[in-house]
Amino acid sequence: MPKTYTRKKIFAFVLIIFMVGIILSIRLGYLMIAQSEYYLEKAEALHDRERSIKAKRGVIYDRNGIELASNKPVCSISVIHSQITDEDQVVKALCNVLELDEETVRKKVQANTIREKIKSNVDKEVADKLRDMKLSGVMIDEDYKRYYPYDSLASKVLGFTGADNQGIVGLEVAYEDVLAGVPGSILTLTNAHGKELENEAESRIEPIAGDNLHVSIDLNMQKYAEQVATKVMKSKQAKRVSVVLMNPQNGEIYAMVNVPEYNLNEPYTLVGVDNIYDNEQDALNYMWRNFCINDTYEPGSTFKLVTATAAIEEKVVNLEDTFSCPGFRIVEDRKIRCHKVGGHGTETFREGFMNSCNPVFMDVGARVGVSNMYKTYEKLGLFEKTGVDLPGEASSIMHKQENVKAVELATMSFGQSFQITPMQLLRAASAAINGGDLVIPHFAMYTTNEEGEKKEEFEYTRKKGVIQKETSDTMKELLEAVVAEGSGSKGQVAGYRIGGKTATSEKLPRGNGKYISSFLGFAPANNPQVIGLIMIDEPVGVYYGGTIAAPVMAELFSNILPYLGIEEEYIETEPGSFEVAE
Amino acid sequence: MAKKKSGGFAQLIGKRIYVGEYFDYPLLFVTLFLVIFGLVMVYSTSSYTAELKTDNAAYYLMRQGAFAVVGIIAMLGVSFYDYRRWKNWSLIMMILVIVLLFLVMLLGTTSHGAVRWLQIGPFQFQPSELAKLVIAVYTAHMSTIKVRQIDDWVELGKIVACPIVASILILDENLSTGLICVAIMAIVVFITSPKIKRFFLIGFGGIAVIAVGFLLGTSYRMERINIWLNPEKYDKGYQTLQSLYAIGSGGVFGKGLGQSIQKLGFIPESHNDYIFAVICEELGLFGAICVIGMFMFLIWRCIVIAYNTRDLFGALVVVGITTHIAAQVLINIAVVTNTIPPTGVPLPFISYGGTALCCLLIEIGIVLAVSRHLHVAKQY
Repeated sequence: MPKTYTRKKIFAFVLIIFMVGIILSIRLGYLMIAQSEYYLEKAEALHDRERSIKAKRGVIYDRNGIELASNKPVCSISVIHSQITDEDQVVKALCNVLELDEETVRKKVQANTIREKIKSNVDKEVADKLRDMKLSGVMIDEDYKRYYPYDSLASKVLGFTGADNQGIVGLEVAYEDVLAGVPGSILTLTNAHGKELENEAESRIEPIAGDNLHVSIDLNMQKYAEQVATKVMKSKQAKRVSVVLMNPQNGEIYAMVNVPEYNLNEPYTLVGVDNIYDNEQDALNYMWRNFCINDTYEPGSTFKLVTATAAIEEKVVNLEDTFSCPGFRIVEDRKIRCHKVGGHGTETFREGFMNSCNPVFMDVGARVGVSNMYKTYEKLGLFEKTGVDLPGEASSIMHKQENVKAVELATMSFGQSFQITPMQLLRAASAAINGGDLVIPHFAMYTTNEEGEKKEEFEYTRKKGVIQKETSDTMKELLEAVVAEGSGSKGQVAGYRIGGKTATSEKLPRGNGKYISSFLGFAPANNPQVIGLIMIDEPVGVYYGGTIAAPVMAELFSNILPYLGIEEEYIETEPGSFEVAE
Repeated sequence: MAKKKSGGFAQLIGKRIYVGEYFDYPLLFVTLFLVIFGLVMVYSTSSYTAELKTDNAAYYLMRQGAFAVVGIIAMLGVSFYDYRRWKNWSLIMMILVIVLLFLVMLLGTTSHGAVRWLQIGPFQFQPSELAKLVIAVYTAHMSTIKVRQIDDWVELGKIVACPIVASILILDENLSTGLICVAIMAIVVFITSPKIKRFFLIGFGGIAVIAVGFLLGTSYRMERINIWLNPEKYDKGYQTLQSLYAIGSGGVFGKGLGQSIQKLGFIPESHNDYIFAVICEELGLFGAICVIGMFMFLIWRCIVIAYNTRDLFGALVVVGITTHIAAQVLINIAVVTNTIPPTGVPLPFISYGGTALCCLLIEIGIVLAVSRHLHVAKQY
C-alpha cells in the first residue's frame, strides 16, 4: 500500500502536468485565434507563387480606328532563391543584361523569399536574351506595357498609365473602368520546394481584357493642328499654343492640342516647362495640364459673340442700329477704352461687331441688362462645366449677379472681368451657330470588346433650342462677316465660307504686356461642320489675335476642310453688300 | 458493470471489496482511439510525401498500421501478465538496454542526422524507446526494494546508477530523449522518497548544469535558442516557422481533415515530430484541444490507477510510464507551438514511429495489468 506522502506527491505531479497542459492550450488558442490572421496571410503568401495576371488594357482608337494608345509586350524578371543553382552566374547575367547594380541584384538573389522581383517592364528582346541563357531560378513573365505609337500626340488628352497599368491622367483615367478590365489570378499553390500542387493547379482565374475605347479624335486633324500650333509657337516664341477642333453639331472633338506636348511614353521627362517650380511634381503636373479644360482665362473679344447672341435673342438691337465710338466710353466714373484709340466713329451694330468695337458692345450690353445677360449665359452653359469627358475640368469664375453694376456689365460685354475655360467658350459658340442646341463636348464615342464587336455607345444629352434658330442664323451671318470683311479677315480660306471672331486678351495683372491671342472660327459659315479655337499664350511681338491667330486657323482649315469632305464653294455675295470697315 | 469506488467509501456503505475483477476500459478505449486517430493523421500527413517517394500513398500508413496491430496485441497480452513479475526481468532488461545503446553507438544506422537506430534484419529498432520503458520498470523495482533506505544518498545512488548510465548514453545523441529518461527516473525516485527539499535542490542543480551546458555548449545548441526566439531570421528556423504557419492557418475549426497545405512538403517529415501542427491546421483549435484533452484523460486514468494500487511497485511503474507519456506530449506540443526551443520529440501514439508505438502500447498494457489489481467495489 503506497504511503500517504506518495499519494500526495502523485497528486502534485498530475496537477503540474495538467497546469502545463492548460498553459499549452492557452498558447495554442493565442496562436490559432489572435495570431491566426497573421500566420494565415504568411502561409498563403508562401503558397501562392503567382498572384495576379494583369488584364490586357483596352486600346484607344481614333475615330478611324487607328491606335492612339495600345499595349506592347514586356517582361518582368524575378528570381526564386530555392531554384537557383549557380548564384554567381545568375547575378552576373542579371547585371549584364539588365544593366543593374551588382550589390542590389545579389541581395535580391540571396533573399530567402519565395520570389523576388528583379525588374519589370523589360523589353521583350532583352528578356529573350536572358531566356536564352536558360538560368535556373530566373523567372521571366510576359506582361503588357502601355505604349503610345505617336509619342506626344494628344498627350494632354490621352494621358498615360502608371506602373500597374492604371490610368493616371487624361482619357486613361476618365475611362479607367472601361479600359482596365479585370485582372485574373493564378491561385497556384506550391509546396516548400516550389513545386506546383497538382490538384490545386486548376484555380486559375483568367483575366478579362479591358474594352477598347473609340474616341472622336481624328489622328490626321490632330496632327495638322499640332503642326500649325507648333509652328506658330516657335515663330511667335509663345509660351504655349492650344487648339481645339470640334464638331459644333454634336460636340465630338476632332482635335485638342496643347503644345508643347510631352512624350506619353516618357511622361516623367519634363518638356517645355519653365524652371519656376520648386519641386518636380509641380512641374510635372503643369506639364500634364490640359489648358483647354483645366484652366480658365478671360476670353476677351471672342466673347462678344455671346453678348451679341444675348442682344439678338432679347431683340434689343437690330443689325442696322447705329452706335458711335469715340475710342472710349465713360461708364459711371470709369473711362473704358476701345482697342482703336481714335475710335470707330459712327457705325451700325453689324459694323461694330465686325470691328470688334468695345463701346458698341458696352452699349449693347447695357441694353440687354444684367438679368437677361445672365439668363443667356446660363442658356449657353457658362455657369456649368461643359461635361467634357476629361478629368479636372475647371469651373467658370463669374461675378455674382447681384454684384454686377454698370461697369462690370460693360466689361463683361466685351469679355473681361470674368474667366471661363476655352472649352466653355467653344461650347457656347457652338450653340450660337448650330441652330441653338447646347451640346456636350466629348471624346468617347463607343467601346468595343477584345474581338472588336461594338459594346457600348456613349450618349450625350443635348439641350435643344437654348436660343432661337433665327438668332443662330443671324450670329452665323455676323460671324461670317467678321472674317469676310472685318477684324478676322486673316482667317479667310479661299473657297470656303468661314465664320469667326478674334480676341486679344490681356493677361492679369493688367499692363504686364502679356496677352493671349485667340481666334474662334468655324466652317462652312452657313452650315458649320467644324468649329475651332486657337489660343496663343504670350506671343512675342505682334499680339493681335486677328493678325497672328486667325491665319493659323485659316491654315488649319485649308487643310482639314477638304479632308472633312467639305466642298469648296465660292461665296456668291456681291461686293458692296457689306460696307467695308477700315 | 464494475464500478470503481474509493475503498473507504465502499466500506462505509458496507460493500465488499473484490480484487482482480477490475479492468480500466476507459484507458483502453482512449488508447485505442489515440492509436487509430494517429493512423488517420499519419496517412493524412504522409500520403503526399509517400507517393512522391514510394509511389504508394499508404506506405507509411501500412507500416505504422502493422506496428499498431503488433503493439495492440502486445498491449493486451501484457495486460494479462501479472505486472509484479516484471520485477524479475527488470535488471536483465536494464543491462540489455545498456548493451543495445552501446551497440547503437558502435554500429547504428544514421537517420535524420543522428545515430539512433539498430538494423535487425529488415527492421530498424530504436533502443532509446525501449530504454524509457525499461527505466520506468527498473527504477520502480529498485525504489520498491530500497524504499526504507532511499533517504540514504548511497542507496539512492545505487537505485539510479544504471538508469543514469543509460540516460547518458542516450543524452549523447539525443538530448531530449535523454532528459525524458532522467525525468522518468527522477519522478519515480521523488515519489518513493518522503523527502522533498533534496529533490528540488537536485532539480535546480540539474537545470543549472543544463543551462551552463547550453551557454558553454556547442554552437548548435545556442543556435536552437536563437531560432526559438526569432524563427523568421534563421534559415534553420524554417521548420518552426512552417509549423507556426500551419497552426495559425488552422483557425478555430481548421481546414478540414486532409486539407492541410503545410504538410505538402512545407513541414519536413510532417508525419513525425510535427504531426501536431498538421492536426491544428486540419482540425483547428477545437480539434487540437480535443487531442490535448484525450491525452489529459489518458494521464488522468493512469494517475487514478497509480493512486489506487495496493502495492508501491505498481504505483511507481504507472507513475514512471505516465511521466514518459506526459513529458512527450507536453514537450512535443511546446516545441510545435514554439513555446520552447526546438527539439525532436514525437507525439505519443500519433507520430509515425514503430518502436515508439509498440513500446508505448506495451507500457499501457502494464498500466492495464496494474488496473486489474485495484481495489474495486462491485455492486450486486
